[in-house]
Amino acid sequence: MAFQVLFLTLKTLKESSHEHVYNAVEKPLLLAQSAAVLEIIHGLIGLVRSPVSSTLPQIGSRLYLTWGILYSFPEMRTHILVTSLVISWSLTEIIRYSFFGLKEAFGFAPSWHLWLRYSTFLVLYPTGISSEVGLIYFALPYLKASEKYCVRMPNKLNFSFDYYYAAIVTLGFYVPGSPHLYSYMLSQRKRALSKSKKE
Amino acid sequence: MKVNIVSRSGREFIKGGLELNDSATVADLQEAIHKRTKKFYPSRQRLTLPVQPGSKERPVVLHYKKSLKEYSDGNQNTLTVVFKDLGPQVSYRTLFFFEYLGPLLLYPVFYYFPVYQFFGYKGERVIHPVQTYALYYWCFHYFKRIMETFFVHRFSHATSPLSNVFRNCAYYWTFGSYIAYYVNHPLYTPVSDLQMKIGFGFGIVCQLANFYCHIILKNLRSADGSGGYQIPHGFLFNIVTCANYTTEIYQWLGFNIATQTVAGYVFLVVATSIMTNWALAKHRRLRKLFDGKDGRPKYPRRWVILPPFL
Repeated sequence: MAFQVLFLTLKTLKESSHEHVYNAVEKPLLLAQSAAVLEIIHGLIGLVRSPVSSTLPQIGSRLYLTWGILYSFPEMRTHILVTSLVISWSLTEIIRYSFFGLKEAFGFAPSWHLWLRYSTFLVLYPTGISSEVGLIYFALPYLKASEKYCVRMPNKLNFSFDYYYAAIVTLGFYVPGSPHLYSYMLSQRKRALSKSKKE
Repeated sequence: MKVNIVSRSGREFIKGGLELNDSATVADLQEAIHKRTKKFYPSRQRLTLPVQPGSKERPVVLHYKKSLKEYSDGNQNTLTVVFKDLGPQVSYRTLFFFEYLGPLLLYPVFYYFPVYQFFGYKGERVIHPVQTYALYYWCFHYFKRIMETFFVHRFSHATSPLSNVFRNCAYYWTFGSYIAYYVNHPLYTPVSDLQMKIGFGFGIVCQLANFYCHIILKNLRSADGSGGYQIPHGFLFNIVTCANYTTEIYQWLGFNIATQTVAGYVFLVVATSIMTNWALAKHRRLRKLFDGKDGRPKYPRRWVILPPFL
């Protein structure tokens, strides 16, 4: 599916322009990102080893971007950052899942594949995260104007919700979240690559 | 006795080690380390016995009351201990005080001051009776907690890392403000008079029960802080291991029944899950400690925190 997203992105870029990328990839993108919810559940029930604390923010942010921003606010779909976002995500996923797949099927993966798995994030994380942050930031005026997903007082439950302010809070979470995730991946890289050298 | 102090990476932490009396305790060693390093006072130090490299066993933590002899395998004259800096420490009293001070001061700000102007609400605010009662209830609750911190609680650990102060204050202060914002809101919708009375009434009863639970817990430990873990008994403790948490949770439920805000219920769920984790750990520890073998009493069958569910 990630292959399909990448293929469609590149094809659209070649044949027309970046404005049409979202329309070309919408279906596989929404499906792939929503299927990633399974990964959180697998982590929760202990099917895979990766901790929920590292998968939850990653997948949560992707679901938020795909459904909460791009799907909900069509104005954002033609933005150039959609292209960099989709390329970063799909490349990461292709390498990640093919790595897991090989390990699952044969018990090991070639060393260059291991290196890719633990090195591409050095570039793809910054591009992906800055695309995410940029898209949320540029969507803010639309969020504010549309009042979509907002709940206003008064009501019996004494509850209110403002999607615009929620987006600002989300942006705030990126400030400590991104360096945390990046350093987590760096330590993973160090561990995985030094282990493979020993063997 | 000669004591070598190494860091966790195995490097010598204090040059030449320390020479101590044969009758010295771990506390004496910690004092000696403090004297030499100046910076690391005893509660900042974590001293363990070295573990074999590669072994997955947990290291033995040295207890400050025991004598060094007990850790040195009989008559050997040297002992190697591993030093870890726990970071700056504060007493639990300080930690609790600052945690509870936030909600106690922030909540009235939303009630008394025209803060809602800054959120875009103009004009006069009509205050419902339930909002006034909620203010008294809230302030009484946090006042009670601060008083208990100073005059009732006895702490098994003397200190907590300084970083916990920031984490816990962020938790209490944000949630306090979040709930205060909705309960004192100009567009607040009150519940029926009966529901309010039931909620506050039930909540007050639970707060009093909670206070009594804290008195019982205090009396389990002797005044010098020793006594270790005991089987709590009497009052609600005969039914539930952590009756203090049970009553705390139910008193928040009472507050929420009376004020009915989503914010309050969110806090209730979060607080309940945190306390449930603590309660499960405590229940497990007591069951392990009092296993009924070798003359130790057997821990009775009890609910953990929330009868009749858990």
